[in-house]
Amino acid sequence: MLVPQLINGLTQGSLYALVAVGFVIIFGTLNLVTFAHGEVYMVAAFVGYFALAVYHLPWPLALLAGMVAGAVLGMATEKLAFRPMRSAGHMPPLLITIGLSVILKDLAVIVWGAENRAVPSIYQQTIQVAGVHVSVLQLVILALACALVGVLRLLLHRTRMGRAMRATAQDHEAAYAMGVNINRVFSVAFALASALGGAAGVLVGIYYNTVYATMGSTAGLKGFAACIFGGLTSIPGAILGGLIIGVVENLTVQFMASGYRDVVAFLVMVAVLIVRPQGLLGKTLRSI
Amino acid sequence: MTMNGLRVVLAALMLLSALPVGAAEPIHIALSAPMTGNYAEYGQQFQRSIDLAVEWANAAGGIHGRPIAVVSGDSKGDPKEAAALAQKFTSDKRIVAEIGDFTSSACMAAQPIYERAGMVQLSPTASHPEFAPGSPWSFGIIGTQAGEGPFMAKYAVEKLGKKRIAVLYINNDWGIATKDYFVKAAQGLGAQVVAVESFFEADKDFTGVLTKLRGVKPDALYIPAMYNEGALIEKQREKLGWSDVVVLGPGSLYSPKLLEIGGGAVNGLHTSAVFFPNDPRPDVQKFVKGFEAKYKATPNMFAAIAYDAANLMIETLRKAGTDRQAIREELAKTKDFVGVTGRIAFTSQRDVVKDYRYLVIRDGQFTLYTP
Repeated sequence: MLVPQLINGLTQGSLYALVAVGFVIIFGTLNLVTFAHGEVYMVAAFVGYFALAVYHLPWPLALLAGMVAGAVLGMATEKLAFRPMRSAGHMPPLLITIGLSVILKDLAVIVWGAENRAVPSIYQQTIQVAGVHVSVLQLVILALACALVGVLRLLLHRTRMGRAMRATAQDHEAAYAMGVNINRVFSVAFALASALGGAAGVLVGIYYNTVYATMGSTAGLKGFAACIFGGLTSIPGAILGGLIIGVVENLTVQFMASGYRDVVAFLVMVAVLIVRPQGLLGKTLRSI
Repeated sequence: MTMNGLRVVLAALMLLSALPVGAAEPIHIALSAPMTGNYAEYGQQFQRSIDLAVEWANAAGGIHGRPIAVVSGDSKGDPKEAAALAQKFTSDKRIVAEIGDFTSSACMAAQPIYERAGMVQLSPTASHPEFAPGSPWSFGIIGTQAGEGPFMAKYAVEKLGKKRIAVLYINNDWGIATKDYFVKAAQGLGAQVVAVESFFEADKDFTGVLTKLRGVKPDALYIPAMYNEGALIEKQREKLGWSDVVVLGPGSLYSPKLLEIGGGAVNGLHTSAVFFPNDPRPDVQKFVKGFEAKYKATPNMFAAIAYDAANLMIETLRKAGTDRQAIREELAKTKDFVGVTGRIAFTSQRDVVKDYRYLVIRDGQFTLYTP
């Protein structure tokens, strides 16, 4: 049962990781936290649901639609909550994102209803590898998560915008002085982060066959935890953090009891942070 | 006649037509239910059914000419909120009795407050065996797990011939009671309970715990859960390719939503029910048609039981009037109320014994089980 549990954990962890990477991109470039990230994920999950269940689009299009919806909503968050508050310190934008998160969640309950919506299944089959049952969908989700992170890496390290983002992450003023359009960088950072969050939302919907208005809260919390655990500004750290949380949770289910999954996951995080306050792969120098 | 004149006449006409019931002082009953939060959809089902029952009762003249008004409060599925609502309702002199809440936990948290104030607390769904006996003012009409647990155990062990049973239950008051009564009865029938696992109320990921349960090779899996979690458990079981197990669950699984979310994965799932939308009885059909016309959705068991709670309350008010104590005495006497979920006759402990039926899902439909 160990191998299936590892696969369960890695799949779940890769979804946490996608959310966590979004937090890292935003925190890395803006040095700010958004609490609306979970709700962006929820809205994207609903967009994915509508694409799959109502418009019967193939799943890659549904994934894309969710990512675009996430990106648009993320850019709107940045325009609304962060840009007008650039010089107002940390607290006002934080509060605005909390407000935005509550508004989005309650609006979703009002407009879409409080009930669970059924997302159609894809890749139902399992394959047997060396006597172990492996769900094809789990493998697809793992592969997609890797691919998305790979694309993100290319964007950050091989494009002009990526370089501008990394420069901004290291020093806002210096980047600005060198002619980097900071506003655009922030906007793109939010778009990228939210597209990844959106992808996670759609994939979670497909994985668990359900979307619902309040799904963003737990996802936001777990993603944020994975982000801090990984080192706050390190993308590999956030991925590692997400995966470790997922695996620890599932091993806890196997060797202890289902009820302890979050307890043990957070205990492990606290224990690591006591020894390494900067997180798994955190550095003192800011970068993404 | 000018447009304004016409409006005045129209307004006067509308007022007149509302007079028969509108003129008298309304009788207020309270509804405590989760309108937001994790259980919001169940609370909304309560609200819909109770609105429908009250609308029909008012159209038929209300309580001796006085209309009924429902004061709703959102308990958010949180026992603390339910207790706060109980304070609010009991201190409101207009309110004569209360319907709610949804979960046994919320009902039991609010119970002492209703008892102290002397107000009827009629829960459509609290099935914890200790709820209704806990206070002379508390009534439960869904039947308790003391009845359904042994019924489902018989289904698994005697009807289906299963001997190695695993249990995956929701970790709240209801889930624990449901599990306990089932496990005790199953063991009494000679079956072996090979694993007992729990999950929390908002959990969506069951792959881990299912993988673990699969490892002990049970031949049946009993899942005391709501239909949302039940559907997810079944979906994830299918995804993991675990097919050599028969899954059973209590009547909480009985909902069109289970079929919708569960899809092909719930085929072969066994459950029980006290309410069938296809039941040809006229009062059932009147409720189902009326509900569908008003809300564009088929009522589920929770809507049906809430509808029964509302009608039982209305009938009690007709007999007892508006005195809180008189309402309790009259309600306790209920012996032959026939609702859409069957007969309601309170035991001396103010709960009921329901008639369950064996159901199995075949080709995406609930059907009566035949061996």
